[in-house]
Amino acid sequence: MTEDFKDNKVIHAQSSETIPGGAGGSVPDLDYVRPAEVSDQDLYHGHSFITKWVFCQDAKVIGIQYFCLATFTGIIGLILSWLMRLQLGFPEAAGFMTAEHYYQFVTMHGMIMVVYFLTALFLGGFGNYLIPLMVGARDMVFPYLNMVSFWSFFVAVLVLLASFFVPGGPTGSGWTLYPPQAILEGTPGSGMGIILMCVSLILFVAGFTMGGLNYLITVLQARTRGMTLMRMPLTVWGIFTATVLAMLAFPALLVGSLMMMLDKLLGTSFFMPTILKAGEVLEYGGGSPILFQHLFWFFGHPEVYIVALPAFGIISDLISVHSRKNIFGYRMMVWAIVGIGALSFFVWAHHMYVSGMNPWFGFFFATTTLIIAVPTAMKVYNWILTLWRGNIRMNTVMLWCLGFIVTFVNGGITGIFLGNVSVDVPLSDTYFVIAHFHMVMGIAPLMVIMGAVYHWFPLVTGKFLSEKLGKWHFWTTFLGAYSIYFPMHYLGFIGVPRRYFEMYDSPYMTSAVGMNEFISLAAFLVGAAQFILIFNIIKSLKTGKVAGKNPWQANSLEWLTPTVPPEHGNWGDRLPVVHRWAYDYSVPGAKEDFITQTTAPSEVADTKVEKT
Amino acid sequence: MAEADKKEQTTTHKIGIYLWIWGLLFVLSFFSYMVDWYQFQGMLRWSLILIFMFLKAGLIMAFFMHLFWERYALVNVLLWPMTAIACFIFLMVAEFKYTLFTRLLYFFVGG
Amino acid sequence: MSDPKIEGYEFKPGFGGMAADTASDQTMFKGVHWGKAMMWIFLLSDTFIFSCFLISYMKGRGSTPVEWPNASEVFGLHVFGVDVPLLLIAIMTFVLITSSGTMALAVKYGYEKNRKMCGWLILATAIGGLTFVGMQAFEWSKLIHEGVRPWENPFGAAQFGSFFFMITGFHGTHVSIGVIFLFIYAYKTFAGHYDERKRGWFTSMKGDYVEIEILGLYWHFVDLVWVFIFAFFYLW
Repeated sequence: MTEDFKDNKVIHAQSSETIPGGAGGSVPDLDYVRPAEVSDQDLYHGHSFITKWVFCQDAKVIGIQYFCLATFTGIIGLILSWLMRLQLGFPEAAGFMTAEHYYQFVTMHGMIMVVYFLTALFLGGFGNYLIPLMVGARDMVFPYLNMVSFWSFFVAVLVLLASFFVPGGPTGSGWTLYPPQAILEGTPGSGMGIILMCVSLILFVAGFTMGGLNYLITVLQARTRGMTLMRMPLTVWGIFTATVLAMLAFPALLVGSLMMMLDKLLGTSFFMPTILKAGEVLEYGGGSPILFQHLFWFFGHPEVYIVALPAFGIISDLISVHSRKNIFGYRMMVWAIVGIGALSFFVWAHHMYVSGMNPWFGFFFATTTLIIAVPTAMKVYNWILTLWRGNIRMNTVMLWCLGFIVTFVNGGITGIFLGNVSVDVPLSDTYFVIAHFHMVMGIAPLMVIMGAVYHWFPLVTGKFLSEKLGKWHFWTTFLGAYSIYFPMHYLGFIGVPRRYFEMYDSPYMTSAVGMNEFISLAAFLVGAAQFILIFNIIKSLKTGKVAGKNPWQANSLEWLTPTVPPEHGNWGDRLPVVHRWAYDYSVPGAKEDFITQTTAPSEVADTKVEKT
Repeated sequence: MAEADKKEQTTTHKIGIYLWIWGLLFVLSFFSYMVDWYQFQGMLRWSLILIFMFLKAGLIMAFFMHLFWERYALVNVLLWPMTAIACFIFLMVAEFKYTLFTRLLYFFVGG
Repeated sequence: MSDPKIEGYEFKPGFGGMAADTASDQTMFKGVHWGKAMMWIFLLSDTFIFSCFLISYMKGRGSTPVEWPNASEVFGLHVFGVDVPLLLIAIMTFVLITSSGTMALAVKYGYEKNRKMCGWLILATAIGGLTFVGMQAFEWSKLIHEGVRPWENPFGAAQFGSFFFMITGFHGTHVSIGVIFLFIYAYKTFAGHYDERKRGWFTSMKGDYVEIEILGLYWHFVDLVWVFIFAFFYLW
């Protein structure tokens, strides 16, 4: 094993070094940065293909592994949504689908997209790749644990997909998995399906805990010299806070899954009340179905922000870089992220207004829900104010950013409708809810992912993605997504219920039929448009324009590595030293319109740069 | 790990403090056992159980887990999330009362 | 654990110090080992797991119209012709606290680089843990013998058995995992891995006595959880 460490660069303690780029002697304390508290990280360098690319301990490779696997499951989720739309829009063409299939597809689509796609992609993918680079660390603090985290996720996905092939198929109880129906006969997949789902979730949580500990400790304890928390890019803030939420919210999901498995396997009655079925009393009795709902949403609502907060953070950075302006109200943005994160633990039961919980809870949860709109709205204002009078580059990344802001505002406003009990009660279980949450936590974070892919692709591969294909991709996705979800709001208002396999003959069907067909066509188009990205990635990898170092002229550390793409250990011989925040764009008096985080103050002494 | 060298400076505590805490934990456990032995009931039982529980938990965390000597940055990070748990407990108390109420209402009174 | 010395950084006490630590660069928890910080955050997450279990138990117990069994009688033992309530549980509590005490001392001697003493104390802790698990197995088998099952029991509400086996089972799993690690660490201590800073088997990170403290945190946490289970499950 010792030879695995011989490649470690001999790194001297940095405490006695002079600061590179310092003014030297004349103004000694201007560029002073406290010496390193800890000696350099001891890294394991893989030598074989297996240790370099499969069981790899490099956070960047793990990030890419997470990204690819999450995308793969996402595509499965996408295909499932096509099948659902086929049934809803053109039932006669979907003769092969039974109601059971439909429910199974709904369930798997929801669970895959929320947990195995968005969560894994944002935290596992972007988190692993970007956190060490952005805070100036050589790697995650526990590389081995990080590797185990990915492989747990891998096994979780395998178990999830295995449920398609077991007798009875995957669970069809809706992505919320509410008991008692989730484990009772008559619900599709109530046998092996639900068990595998619970096992898969437990594996996911276990794997995620290992990854999450890495992200948190890397951000808290392994920043480079000069990198204070208030100098971190908002991307890191978003991912960090989302990870905190995940560490505290996933336990509830774990407990809920475990108890449901016991109900199914051992016949306990945690969630099972006395049930009459065809005149016979089942063996269950005395349990509390609503307890599962509380546990699930104690996880489920923070989960919304686990997806949203990284998106908030990433979009802030993209907007700032591509409009060449500092982010408006950086501190406000940080506190908004933290505030949203903290509040998200006190709003969960707004998903349960119609569940039969204690009716007084409506007051509490409607209030907290509306309070959480305040920091969220502040963020939207700040994005718009960042754009205002910026030197905006209208490239693909910026298009995705603008698309995100519009979509997020849209979904956010319908969220305020649904946060009020008296508005929610008639609208819940209609397509209005579907439209709301797809806008706010489906399409909006997806747009951020797309923008982030176009933004960071040059870093990961050294090549640009094609702008032309990118614009096609954006406009079809943007216009298509609105064609899907705008009409759904209307469907909700006229009372079309969600979760129905078909609409049968009902008074509002006349106006819903055409609209459903239109939505389905748009859904097929938008789904197909996503393959433009995959084509773009493959094409650009081969023939894309070479990007070079720091192609977007960004300030944050990930663009400042000695090699592009960054190699294992990220920083070569010497860790970067940070002197400022990541948002010094268009500073009056500066030679260029950006001042990187590592630029020493003495170098820009004659500019109007703020002390950050 | 990388930082290990620094640990040399860390001072340790006298053995006495651990033995004291150890003894106190035994005494408190004995007291909480006595709550059951004498079959106290009602609010007295509840308050005694909770007092002894929190005292024991506090002693373990503060001294055995060294939280008393840690810096406030760590202590606060660990303790603030408990407000979410407190809120969850508080609401679930209201919830179980309501569930019991509806059960008694519909099952026994008959709606 | 007085503050470690950090070049160029001045420690401030209290909340002012908290603000300064948080606002400073590099680390937020000054002088705290990465692994120790990780264990603390993990324990925080684990606290949420056990809290969810206990809250579920409260909700389940509170909303059942069937009478809840009297824990004092169910867990009582019949010794020398006398019914002693909760006897076994009381002994288990004392065993666990004893092992927690030996662990605290092991951490202390670890930092003093007293290899022998540290090793023996870890071994004592492991044996205490093993005793606890053994007594729990006895308790389970006794209850199963009396007809308590996860899905039913002769004393009252069916959820009693469900919650009992689940919560004590989950706690027992934690204890068992801890015991395994205690034995491994006892071996590593006696073999001098921490003195030689030998690399770990899997993680390939250099060994250090701080690992004993990290394991100690976990072990004290297991004891801590038992304090709550003892109060809520057995005494309530």
